[in-house]
Order: sequence, then C-alpha cells, then structure tokens
Amino acid sequence: MSRAMPEPGENTHRTEPDPRVTGAIRYAQDVELPDMLYACIVRSPYAHARVLRVDTSSLPADVVALTPDDVRALGLYGCQIKDQQVLAVERALYIGDPVAAVAAASPRAAREAAELIEVDYEELPAVFDAVEAMQPGAPLLHEDLAISDNDAAYFGMRPEPQRNVCHHFRIRHGDIEQGFAEADVIVEETYRTPSAQHVPMEPHACLARWTADGRLEVWTGTQTPFNLRMDLAGIFGLPQERIRIIAPPMGGAFGSKTFVRYEAIVACLARKAGRPVKLVLRRDEEWLTLNRHPSTIHVKLGARRDGTLVAKQVTCWANTGAYADCGPGVAQKMGFASPGPYRIPHVWVDSYCVYTNLPSNGAFRGYGATQAVWASERTMDLLAERLGLDPLELRLKNVLVDGDRYCTGEVMHDVHFADCLKAVAGQIGWHEGRRGKGLAVLLKGMQTPSRASIVVEANDDGSYTVHCATAEMGQGAWRAIRMLAAEQLGVPVERVHFPVPDTDIVPYDTRTTSSRSTYMMGRALVEAVRQLKENGELGYGECVNEGGLDPDTGQGIASTHWHQGAAAAEVRVDEETGKLEVVHLHTAIYAGRVVNPPAAQLQNEGSMIMGLGSALFEEITFAEGQVTNANLSDYNIPAADDLPRITYDLIERPGAEIHGLGETALPPVPAAIGNALFSLGIHVRDLPLTPERVLEASERRRVRSAAPV
Amino acid sequence: MAAMEIHFTLNGQPVAVQAEPDEMLLEVLRRELGLRSVRETCGLGICGACTALLNGQPISTCILLAPLAEGCEITTVEGLGGHHPVQRAFEEVQAFQCGYCTPGMILTIKALLEEQPAPDEETIRRALGGNLCRCGCYLKIVQAAQRAAALLAEERRRQPGPGAAPVS
Ligand code: FES
Ligand code: FES
Repeated sequence: MSRAMPEPGENTHRTEPDPRVTGAIRYAQDVELPDMLYACIVRSPYAHARVLRVDTSSLPADVVALTPDDVRALGLYGCQIKDQQVLAVERALYIGDPVAAVAAASPRAAREAAELIEVDYEELPAVFDAVEAMQPGAPLLHEDLAISDNDAAYFGMRPEPQRNVCHHFRIRHGDIEQGFAEADVIVEETYRTPSAQHVPMEPHACLARWTADGRLEVWTGTQTPFNLRMDLAGIFGLPQERIRIIAPPMGGAFGSKTFVRYEAIVACLARKAGRPVKLVLRRDEEWLTLNRHPSTIHVKLGARRDGTLVAKQVTCWANTGAYADCGPGVAQKMGFASPGPYRIPHVWVDSYCVYTNLPSNGAFRGYGATQAVWASERTMDLLAERLGLDPLELRLKNVLVDGDRYCTGEVMHDVHFADCLKAVAGQIGWHEGRRGKGLAVLLKGMQTPSRASIVVEANDDGSYTVHCATAEMGQGAWRAIRMLAAEQLGVPVERVHFPVPDTDIVPYDTRTTSSRSTYMMGRALVEAVRQLKENGELGYGECVNEGGLDPDTGQGIASTHWHQGAAAAEVRVDEETGKLEVVHLHTAIYAGRVVNPPAAQLQNEGSMIMGLGSALFEEITFAEGQVTNANLSDYNIPAADDLPRITYDLIERPGAEIHGLGETALPPVPAAIGNALFSLGIHVRDLPLTPERVLEASERRRVRSAAPV
Repeated sequence: MAAMEIHFTLNGQPVAVQAEPDEMLLEVLRRELGLRSVRETCGLGICGACTALLNGQPISTCILLAPLAEGCEITTVEGLGGHHPVQRAFEEVQAFQCGYCTPGMILTIKALLEEQPAPDEETIRRALGGNLCRCGCYLKIVQAAQRAAALLAEERRRQPGPGAAPVS
C-alpha cells in the first residue's frame, strides 16, 4: 500500500494550541536558574599546538575562569575512544579546540572576559586529510587510544595508534581475488564527500549546577542523556546516580547534540563558581563543535557481462577530526553500507576512522550512509554504462530479496529494495526516457545492539504518564510514543503525558539516534502496558535488539532491522555555466507501519531537503584547518525557494514493524542527482555538485569525446 | 555604555525597557521582556528565527538596534493568542517539527496574507526566502499558508462590512 501525498487537515484536533505555534515551547536554551552565570569558551587559534601558558591575571575579580590546571586531574572521556580531556591540557588539536573558559554575570561580560585571557602556544605540524594522516611520518594526534567503557562503545574497535587510526573495520566475505578473476568487467573510481554542518536552528545549549550534597544536575539539549551521564561520571569520578541529566526538547539536532559536548566544561565552571552556569553557543562555534565526516572512498566493482555482480572491494577513509567521538561507529556503518543492498559473492571492505587536525566529526543524519551510498551507487551507474545496461535493470538483477544473505552473513527479512526502486523509477518517468534522470538505492542499519525501556504509570485522575528517555528534536517521537501508548491503553492521546526526560526518573535507553526510537520504544511499550493492565498501577517494558559484527571479518548481525529506500532525480544542466537544476526529486521509502502520518511525512520531506543541500551546495570549507564559512551567509542551507518538485511514497505494509524514518531518504538523494548528471555524460566524483565541478566534468567529457580513439 | 530606556508597543501593550544603545532588539525582547518565541539562529538577518512584526512588517530583530524600535508597534506570536487563523492552519497541517522556526514563519505569512490575501505557491515560497527551516518543513509550511489564506477568507465572509480590517 502506498500513501499518496498528504492532504492538509487530516490530523487529529487538540484543544490547547500546540506550544510550537504559540512560541510557548521551552528549549534547552531557554532554561534558567536564579543566580546563574554565563559561559564563554576560549579556543585555540592553531590547528596543532602545545599549550604553554594560560594567563587569567587580567580578568575582573567577579569572573570565574577555567584553565587546563583545573581539569588536568579529571578523567579522560570519549564515547567510543577515551581521547579527550575537558580542556586541551597539553596540546590543542584543532582550530577551535577549547583551552579555557569563563563564567560571568551576562553573556556580554563573559565574551569580553574571554578576550582577556592570554594563551601562549608552540605551534606544531598539522595534518588535515585522512589519507595523508595515515602516512608514515604524519603528525600523531593521540599517543594512546583506550577504548571507552561507555555504552556507546558497543562494538569491537581496532585502533592503530601509531597511524592516527582509531578504528579499522573490515568485511571479509568470499575470496576477493577469485571474485575479480571471475569478472568480465571491472570498474574503479575514487570519490570524496566534504564535511557538512548540521545547523540545528537552536544552537547547543546547556546549564549545570551542583546541589548542596554534591550532585551534578545538567539541563542540556541532548539525544544521548545516558551516554552523557556515563562520560560525566567518568570525568568527575562520581557514581552515575550522582548525576542527573534533564533533556528538554531541542530546536533540531540531526546528530549534533550527542555525547559530551560542552556539559563537562559548564559543570566544571559551575563547581568552581559555586553557582549555576549556562552556555549557549554562538552560531560560528557550531562549526567548531561537531560536523559530518569528510570521506574518501575507493570502489572497485566487478561483474559478469550479463550484469551479475561478482566482486566488490571498498576502502573508506572517514576523517573524524581531532577527537574520535562516535567516528568509529560512523566508519563502521560507512563500511557495512558500502557494498549496497546487493547479492555479491565476494566482498572486501576496509573502513578507517582517521584522526586529523580538523574539528571533530560525529553523528550526522545518515551516519556514514550518505558517503557510502554516494560512492557505491555512482559506481553502479559506471558499471551499467560500461556494460550497456539500463541502470535500473542492473540494480534489479542484483538487489537483495527476502531470504538472501548480506555480505555480513545475516539473512535479510522484510526486504523491499526492489519495490522502492520500481516506485521511484515509475514516478520519475524512467521508462519514457532516461536522459537527465538518475536513481539510487539505500540500505542503512539501525543501532544494533541496543536497549530501550519504558515505564507507564496510571495517575489518579485517570490519565497516564510515560517515563521514557527518548529525546525530542522535532521528529515527533514524544507524540508518536504517546499515540502508541494511548492506542494500547484505549484512551485518547490527550490522556497520556510525556514529561521532559530526566535520568533520575526515566529507565535506561541507549540513545535517540539511528531512527530507532519509535521502533524500539514501541516494542517496549507493549510489555509495559500489559504489566500495567495487570496491576493497575505501573508497567515496565524493555526491548533489546541483539547482534553486532566481528570487526575483523564484518560477519555477524549488522542490524536487526534495515532502513530501505530509493531516490530518483530529474535534472537539467546549463553547460555554459555548469548550473545544475533539479527539476523533480522523488523518494520511495519502506515505512512498515506508520504511527503518526504527518510526522512521518515531515521526517521524510526533511530528509530529502537536507539531502538536496548535501547534493548541491553544503560544504564546510577549510584553509589550513580554519573553517572559512562558519556562518549562514557563506554556508547555505536549503530555503523554500530552492526546492524542486518534491514527491515521495511511504510504502506501508499492514501489520509490519514500525520503521524509523528520520534519515532514510537523505543518503540516496545526492547519488540519484549525481547519476542523473551522469546520464548526460557528466561524471562528477566529489560532492557537492557545484557549478565549478559540473563545468569541469563536462569539459573533461568534451576533451574525452574529442580525443582520437 | 550607559543603558537607555526605550518605549514601544508590544503585542498591544505599551512597554518601557532598559537597553544598551548598541544592543539588538532580539536580546531586549528575550532578556527584558521574557519573550521566548523570538530566537537567534544566524544573527545576520538571514534565517528569520528572530522575526517580529514592526508596524506590521516582518523584520529580523537580531540586526535591529533596540533604540530604533522607539515608538513602534512590535508584534510577536505571543500576541496572536494561539488561535489566529495562521496558527490554526499550522496546527491543522502540522507544518513544523522542532518548532524553532515556526513563530517567524507564522508572522511572515501573516504579513504576506494581509498584503496578498490569495498568493500562489510561487509567491509564498518567495515570501519565505528569509525564513529558514532546517527541519525541512517547507512543503507543509506552504500548504499551511494556503490553508491560512482560506481560513482568513472564510472569516472575512463571515464578518462582512465596509472596510473590514484584516483579522489579527
Ligand atoms: S537570527 Fe535573526 S535572522 Fe537569523
Ligand atoms: S521546524 Fe525545526 S526549524 Fe523549522
């Protein structure tokens, strides 16, 4: 069953106006406490430098300063690799690395005070490219790479400290040499994707205070309250229960508000000040906080003359910047998404997560899949051209179907890749002529293993309260969970409350990432409601998905549940200027069972639009490690008048599992647009598809076609 | 710099507030008046998250020096009451995700519909050029604007009369 484009007015009516239309919603940046101070960060102007001296002697007396000496004795942290201290104590590793911080009575006083701190540095050699950073003799960022005890370090990691590699993930499936020997045709190409900024409309914001009995309380916009609590516990040497994280709704996150961002600095300032301290980032600081991994991906793909795929070798270099953050996880997902949803008997993948002197890169809507799909799906079209096959037919011939094994060895169920491909091809008019048209398919894993739990409580007034750690960042998770609970409890949704998550109250949850929350929490809820109905008071439910991959072979269970989708694009190119115009963009996403149709549609539309930005113009530019477009005038994000015709199908199946839709439609969009360009003979390897790149590629084609054969 | 007192009408009420002469209206609305629907994203006049209506026209309060609001009429969504047709349209269509951009979108569309009661899609999209939504709700925001136009037209029909003022 396919849901057509939404009609307005089909949602349920509520009595109170939504706090988002009245402006009454309170985000993390709106939290205030009496007597609080405001923080400002002092950052390194060097990409790699020894921090020699931090001088705070010219600060006014009422300003609290945090320097390396204050944090030297605190624990190392890092959600996957413990490679970070609260401030850059010995060496600053990127332009923007926090070396000190202040807290003052107003944001303005804090900014002025931060200017008064003097820091002496000794500049060191730096490296910015991931491939270069792995070469012998490259500057080494971290000496030791201890694997974190945080729950976010959920898979086997293979750091190689002497060459800036914090994780090397492998897939070894079949015999790659034999595979290529069996191939009639082999295509090979190297692709690059740039760093990108999440640009949540609300910047990172957090507030910390210490209670009289020495507990730490933090209000922060976070997708990962429990992972954050674990790392803070390690930093301060406290039992986790002595730390309380309260996670108000966020004005957008897209992966950026994860793990420890500024919470540790603000907590240190609050402890030193003996008062609550709040930080709201300036916009330009977002580019110095967390971005998307730039990637270099080499693909070698072999097939028989009839198009049957026989071998694929992929090498990914994921540039994680100065600190690993969840880069190892991103590199791993990039690695296991890169074979694509195809039956390939011989697969060999090496995916490296590499340190460089750039700001840290971490979770970003798509989580490695955007990069992998760009490389993988562009290569499918290279192969189709070489074989003289229709790119759709080539994909349909090889695409995974129910019961097939993926290259990780797991058997695939509830598989809809072919449906998605056929749907997008139909909508884009594929069979009426393929010029200017392109398509791409995506497979993306969900966080595996992970655990979600939920408590449902009956209130005296006949209403219910759901206690659950799921973060709300605009994806509508709180409402979806309320709707699911209401449905199971047999009450209207207004009778189900969802208070702001507070780790003192809510049960454990892995985190709100990888589009897993509605699916996992929905399952936990079934048990919680069943228990509640039994005892009339309280029910607890839990959902665990087990699995994981052997990091040395990539065999095991990559995901208990696969996000599946396809995109198709129709483009026009002005070959004089290189200007690329997307005329029509269509995606078809396997949605399983949809809980909240307007929210599902919005998630899908939002993913497509973000994918369009990634395809056409989003790129963080650097000059020797310095971000050169850290503002919304130089870094463009899609606006209403940038959009082409956008349509989509959410493919539903009655009785199916819920499928998270937060990011499925993003990764195939750039690849579909790139393939549409390729159908015009314009082969662009690197994102974004700027006029310069398009022009350069069409020049190359002209030269090639003019050359004597 | 010495703080100064500024007077203007906020959502129909006269107010007097303290501000630094070089401060932007956005900071004053948030700090002195406790308004939370005006929000900073870009700080450059590009994104519209800080939109308010100044004498009925949408402006970016992040780049308007507070003293320039002296004697003006300022409207924010707090002043629309919650059931304004544009707000109702946004709810009906569910034209928001995180809601951060929503107040600015609502005010921009309100101003547009007062000038052009039945804009086509193209006109709406162009009018929204200065309002960014990173959640990517634009398709539904355009639908909400169309729906709001219909709701407003209905209201005008129900309250006919010479010179019927636009509903605010
Ligand atoms: S914050 Fe004012 S326009 Fe962006
Ligand atoms: S709804 Fe989140 S920015 Fe528009």
